[in-house]
Amino acid sequence: MLNCNEVAERLYSYLDRELSPEEMAAVQRHLDACPPCRRWFVFEENMLRYVGECARRVRAPDELAARIRELRQS
Amino acid sequence: MTNEPQAPAGAVQLSEEAISHIDALYRMALRLTGNAPDAEDLVQETYLRAFRSLHQFRPGTNLRAWLFRILMNSFINEYRRQSRRPANTSLEDLDEFSLYHQMLESDFQPSVAQPEQEVLARLSEESVLEALDELPVEFRQVVLLADVEGFSYKEIAEVLRIPIGTVMSRLHRGRRRLQRLLAPCLCQSPSLCHGQ
Repeated sequence: MLNCNEVAERLYSYLDRELSPEEMAAVQRHLDACPPCRRWFVFEENMLRYVGECARRVRAPDELAARIRELRQS
Repeated sequence: MTNEPQAPAGAVQLSEEAISHIDALYRMALRLTGNAPDAEDLVQETYLRAFRSLHQFRPGTNLRAWLFRILMNSFINEYRRQSRRPANTSLEDLDEFSLYHQMLESDFQPSVAQPEQEVLARLSEESVLEALDELPVEFRQVVLLADVEGFSYKEIAEVLRIPIGTVMSRLHRGRRRLQRLLAPCLCQSPSLCHGQ
């Protein structure tokens, strides 16, 4: 079983789903058994999600989209 | 009936699909250039280049990643050298900061059962955007591509033409530095500001 340090090294690769299925399962097993690590991972996951949500609220101005469509036709 | 040349139906469809990504390209351009006029110019330049070379695009490959690659190239070629932002050459390792562990080490007294939620609730959208804009551009690019646009490490490596190991390293350091930049926003709780 992975220890806390080994799981910490895999924090972002795990949250980004970039580990092999075996490694994903190994991290998951540790998190199931270790509430402090689980709590940290949930915090980090929420943090990443929140940053993404904030930045995705920005929309392109309508007149830019109109200009791009004109560009395509020219 | 006119004799004007008509774009092939496939090209029209492809350009329409390309235009559907305008919000994603614009928000990336805005975070890279730091102002709306430059962001609009960058997006327009990206589409100009994309429409010119649409015939080179291989159907079945990732159109969205291809557009982002054009945008990144345009940014590097034409905007970065005249950017009003300070040069961000210092990528030295200051980047092991963890907001969560800062919270645990402080004598932060949460008013709710789950302090993690309270920490996030105190971060305004504006403060998050400002912190993103403060990141060195090399970190900002990977953080935006991963956390805002949801690209995989492999796709980011292709968009930026850097090795996957570099993507992982910049992403890790960029996210840690973002947390360091956000920490002062939590200073309504002075105990969280230790070490700032």
